Amino acid sequence: MRSLRQIALGLSPLVVLLVVWQLATYSSTYSNVLLPRPIEVWEVFAKSWPTLLHHTATSLARVLIGLGLAFVTAVPLGLLIGRFRPIEETLDWTIQIFRCLPGIALIPLAILFFGIGDKPAIMLIWFSSFWPLVITTIFGVKNVERTLLKVSQAAMASNMLVFKDVILPSALPSILTGLRLSAGAGWLTLVSAEMIAVKSGLGYMIMYAQVLFKADEVLAGIILIGLVGLAFDQAIRLLRQWLCRWQEGLVLES
Amino acid sequence: MNYLSVSDVSKVYSRRGDHIHALDHVSLEAEFGEFICLLGGSGCGKSTLLNIIAGLDQPTEGRILIHGKPSFGCHPDTTVVFQEHGLFPWMSVQKNIEFNLKARGVPAAKRREISAGLIETVGLLGFDKKYPHELSGGMRQRVGIARALATSPKMLLMDEPFGALDAQTRTTMQRELLRIWQAHKATVVFVTHSIEEAVFLADRIVVMTPRPGRIGSIIDVKLPRPRDPTSQDFNDIVRVALEKLHLPGVAHAA
Repeated sequence: MRSLRQIALGLSPLVVLLVVWQLATYSSTYSNVLLPRPIEVWEVFAKSWPTLLHHTATSLARVLIGLGLAFVTAVPLGLLIGRFRPIEETLDWTIQIFRCLPGIALIPLAILFFGIGDKPAIMLIWFSSFWPLVITTIFGVKNVERTLLKVSQAAMASNMLVFKDVILPSALPSILTGLRLSAGAGWLTLVSAEMIAVKSGLGYMIMYAQVLFKADEVLAGIILIGLVGLAFDQAIRLLRQWLCRWQEGLVLES
Repeated sequence: MNYLSVSDVSKVYSRRGDHIHALDHVSLEAEFGEFICLLGGSGCGKSTLLNIIAGLDQPTEGRILIHGKPSFGCHPDTTVVFQEHGLFPWMSVQKNIEFNLKARGVPAAKRREISAGLIETVGLLGFDKKYPHELSGGMRQRVGIARALATSPKMLLMDEPFGALDAQTRTTMQRELLRIWQAHKATVVFVTHSIEEAVFLADRIVVMTPRPGRIGSIIDVKLPRPRDPTSQDFNDIVRVALEKLHLPGVAHAA
């Protein structure tokens, strides 16, 4: 658990940012309509929290589904690629090409194929979070200690047991690091997708508020996106700490 | 009949057109229950030979016979103890010991029973739930030995298992190993570069010479156990071994 000191340190840049924001509103470079005061944004939270909650929940559900899909597809594929050389030789170039495509660039295609709604958004999240996970999984598999593979070979362990008891646990720290990257990438793509291809969620809310000149709602949306992102990352970190507790004392905490 | 026959085994590694003769027509026989030490400096092919006997590596020429039958790949009656102990860091002591049994499909209750007994045999009572990184070097190697014993092997292959231990722990572990070997009758092939270790442990010492890896000579050690490393007889054998290893300077001085 984090100590009070760590919490204070972690919050300090955010407090500074808040103060700068407050000061900037005094300078009146922008009118209050364009740059509302922090307290006005707070009022949006206080007043329309049911709407905000609804949009956040919608976005969150999409990310969880997309990320879940990416996890159950990317991890097995990464395990196979990392373990079997011919599969890697076959797929390496393809992966290198696809992982360079930004999910956002695929929004037009996603709309053409899946229309407007949940489907294109989820497919885009899946796409953007798939590649980081595949790559870190491959990396994790390749870093399995060679002695441990020899031990498994000498024990005449089946391929299934080697995957389950040796390769997967060994690659898990790396896979969970990949999950953190993927969650970031997925979240990023989602908000963009919602701005164009969907009629609900935080991205949509921000876009809609901009059209109506409601800068306070835009800012509230942005803050929520950041907070959810932070919560996501912390959750995955905790998950990693718990799943990889055998690593305690073996590596420096990340 | 001999339990193990190494029949005219050669191993050639080819790397960028270079051919390295790791083993050159090596033949060796061992009876059931015999303790054999493969002794030699680095590059004499002793670990290569052990890996080939284990079935972890294939000979370029020649073959391995176990109980008169040619053996290809790993053998169910053989287990290996590795130099770097090769424990799975994510498994507790108990789970590590049970791994070879799990690989053979032994049911969980039976596994537990066997591992509980072995934990006592190797002197690790109360450590069954610990992870490897919480143990000292000597204790880790005890776990490695317990794991190798779990399947009641007829042959135990050990690749410099005590190489990384400090002198005192090493002496303790050698005594423990002899005690365990006498209780669980099995053929042992033990790789070491320490002459004293070989003389202390072995029924026969196979002295190997490098470039190409060959068997230089075989020394019978007829001293009764427990052996006293400070006795005259012990040191006579150490001197013979030194000469056979062709250590320059030493042989002339003697």
